[in-house]
Amino acid sequence: MIRLNNIEVKFGDFTALHDINVHVKEGQFYTFLGPSGCGKTTTLRTITGFNAPSKGRVIVKDRDITDMPVEKRNIGMVFQNYALFPTMSVYENIAFGLRVQKIEKSDIDKRVREMAKKVELSDQQLMRKVAELSGGQQQRVAIARALVTNPAIICLDEPLSNLDAKLRVQLRNELKEMQNNFGITTVYVTHDQEEALTLSDCIAVFNNGFIEQIGAPNEIYNQSKTEFVCNFIGDINKLMPQMIGAIAQQSGRALDPNAATYIRLERLHVNYHGAHDVVTLPARILAREYYGLYIKYTLETSGQKVKAIEKNDGTTYFQVDENVTISMNPDDLMTY
Amino acid sequence: MKKFKERLGRLTPGKAVIGLLFTWFILTCIVIPVVNLLGTVFFADGGFSLEPIQKLLRSKKAMSSLKNSFILAPTLSITVGFVGISLVLITEYFDVKGANILRLGYMTTLIYGGIILVSGYKFIYGANGFLTNILAGIFPGFNQNWFQGFWAVLFVMTFSCTSNHMIFLRNAMRSVDFQTVEAARNMGASQFTILRRVVLPVLLPSLFAVTILTFITGLSAMSAPLLVGGTGFQTINPMIKTFADTQNSKDLAALLSLVLGIATMILLFIMTQIEKKGHYMSVSKVKTKIVKQKITNPVVNVLVHVYAYVLFAIYVLPVILIVLFSFTSSKNIATRTLDFSSFSLENYRYLLSNTSNYKPFVVSIVYSALAAVVVGAIVVAACRIIQKSKNSLSSGLLEYSLMIPWLLPTTLIALALMMLYNQRHWYMFNQVLTGTMVILLIGYVVIKLPFTMRMTKAAFFGLDNALEDASHNLGAGEWYTFRRVIFPSILPTVMAIAALNFNGLLGDYDMSIFLYHPLNKTLGVQIKSLTDESTNPNNTALTFVYAVLLMIISAIVLYLVYGRGSQDNTTSKLTKG
Repeated sequence: MIRLNNIEVKFGDFTALHDINVHVKEGQFYTFLGPSGCGKTTTLRTITGFNAPSKGRVIVKDRDITDMPVEKRNIGMVFQNYALFPTMSVYENIAFGLRVQKIEKSDIDKRVREMAKKVELSDQQLMRKVAELSGGQQQRVAIARALVTNPAIICLDEPLSNLDAKLRVQLRNELKEMQNNFGITTVYVTHDQEEALTLSDCIAVFNNGFIEQIGAPNEIYNQSKTEFVCNFIGDINKLMPQMIGAIAQQSGRALDPNAATYIRLERLHVNYHGAHDVVTLPARILAREYYGLYIKYTLETSGQKVKAIEKNDGTTYFQVDENVTISMNPDDLMTY
Repeated sequence: MKKFKERLGRLTPGKAVIGLLFTWFILTCIVIPVVNLLGTVFFADGGFSLEPIQKLLRSKKAMSSLKNSFILAPTLSITVGFVGISLVLITEYFDVKGANILRLGYMTTLIYGGIILVSGYKFIYGANGFLTNILAGIFPGFNQNWFQGFWAVLFVMTFSCTSNHMIFLRNAMRSVDFQTVEAARNMGASQFTILRRVVLPVLLPSLFAVTILTFITGLSAMSAPLLVGGTGFQTINPMIKTFADTQNSKDLAALLSLVLGIATMILLFIMTQIEKKGHYMSVSKVKTKIVKQKITNPVVNVLVHVYAYVLFAIYVLPVILIVLFSFTSSKNIATRTLDFSSFSLENYRYLLSNTSNYKPFVVSIVYSALAAVVVGAIVVAACRIIQKSKNSLSSGLLEYSLMIPWLLPTTLIALALMMLYNQRHWYMFNQVLTGTMVILLIGYVVIKLPFTMRMTKAAFFGLDNALEDASHNLGAGEWYTFRRVIFPSILPTVMAIAALNFNGLLGDYDMSIFLYHPLNKTLGVQIKSLTDESTNPNNTALTFVYAVLLMIISAIVLYLVYGRGSQDNTTSKLTKG
């Protein structure tokens, strides 16, 4: 559906994107994930045509659109702050793209109302000014405006970043549901790993203008290819040589104590053995943080601090300074 | 070279025409007139000569006007500063009873100014003035001409030049984070210490800026010295006008206007440096609105209230008297006696029924409206070009060229246009403009360019770029995006600027007196001729009717701009300056 072949984007002397290669399949929810300034939005804007690549080609449905002007591409976009036209009503905002295409008035009206219904905007809301809507409603207007012209692709640039945590989760679910209903190929930009993991069929992790890894969410999380990806996705413990040595000794594995070695927090089990755990080390609780759904412990073991999370079962609750054990499976170690 | 060729390749016929139009306008209406003025001074006989400077040094009148201006400007900066700060503290910081009414009174200078305001003051304090007659009644032998000369000019200008304080300084006061005041109090600071160490430092950058503007106003004083300066206290601008009217002294007029221009440039340079240092920004996450401070010392409290209401009287008295006397007969006006039984709309009827009386009003309305629209259109087009071609040499040139008039006093621009276009020039299609209707319109447009440019550019750059991207993304082209998305977004600001420009030009005298068409006097020129003592006393009534109508128009315009729902958006943008 979308192919980015060897894309390079330069701003003056600064190279923002280096040799980007992406293949988004039809109907896929594809996410560009990474920290600020990593090039994810630049890549998205290269697809939509706001940035011209200095090298490489942008192919959509086997057609080279690299040099096609923005307005000819028919790629829907939802902007970070929605970019709703403040001087127009909700209706006018949604109808804008159709008016540009010089579609008949009656047809515009029909399509705007149909689309409003799909994104659950009432007739009264259609007549309001966009400033009178809540954040969630504004997002729906932005999506409706982007979809009403029947684009082949929709691009979303951090559309949830301006919302509060609760609304973000709610709208995330709505967004996924909408994408399923419309079945439209979606390219999504976010710096929020949780958002990326929950929404995406495929994730490309960006760093400093390069793609570090492309894969399904479970691949990215469990088999992070680079140290950056491993660090960026989820909480993680970096193990020191002494602890690596202790694990190697107990498990009989040949582990390089000087390699960058990581283990995720939920793969450490406090005071019990998981089904595949073969290593158990003595530890002491240094601190605990109560999150309701789970409890996060900071422990001292093998001369270093590690963190572990345990599901809150309502009964197990370790005290600070309590001596415990931590168990793990060396297969869960990620080494770079 | 390659880049230049690339750019040339992207140049569409439309862009080329717009570029040519801008180049022509900037050269013929701003650059060439000023260069020609310089030539008139220093190359009068073909070769370079410093003779005009020697002539200036020999002219007692000219030197005296220069000296007077340079005495008036700094003195005025101090007096206006003192009164201006007082007004802001009274209306925004201290808990003074009736602050809302006081504020309205102090803001009357926003609805009338220049020649009208000075004539109002003259009506009260001048010979046979309202107050003068009262004083003469109390003190027999009281000098009827007491309100004349330096002190009279200083008094009038002190109270007429506080508009900037009431806009900019008041805004700065409103942006003081009240939590900083509370924090200081929490640490044991007294009211005076809080004012001196916490509040006033926040106002300082704005105060510097308005003080320099006051200084420039003092240097460029025109109406006040003309009407109340008498023969003993004339300043640069009236002298430029006198010299400009004399065939042999045109070079002196030009040289004086250059001196004024250089002084203005230096002062504006200083102001820009101050502006660069920036304003104090509140670092508070949750900024708190200022709560008015009750003056704890009862004696000081009474003194402040008395002071506030005396100031109020000074501000409001001319307005009230102008309005009241506009309904009385010329006899009542001549004797300055208010007889409510003789109140009538006769003066208004007289104005509206006589073409020669209402024509100046119509002329000024048409000129001001036209100029506001033309300057708005020029600047919107320029800002769009600048916005679309950021950092390019041509956009930089365009921006700075349109800001040139900011550095030049009104009289210099007027004189420069007048002296250049009294002859035919090919670049002006071989037309003589001096003495025609067009030249004043050009003058009005040119003097309003910098203000319009600053404000409109701010509106353009305040726009979210994503709006334009969104429009393109939805398939809209350049023109459609500008027409449907960009222009409607900036329209409230553009309209507000146009309204303020219209207001500012309506009673203009400084530019009009040089460039007006003899058969189409503007309001400012008409009022000045009516206030001349030699003219028919009946005409004073007309002046008052003009003044009242101007005040009404100005008040409506200001209400539309600053009042209603535009408080949050347009006003804040405009007053950020």
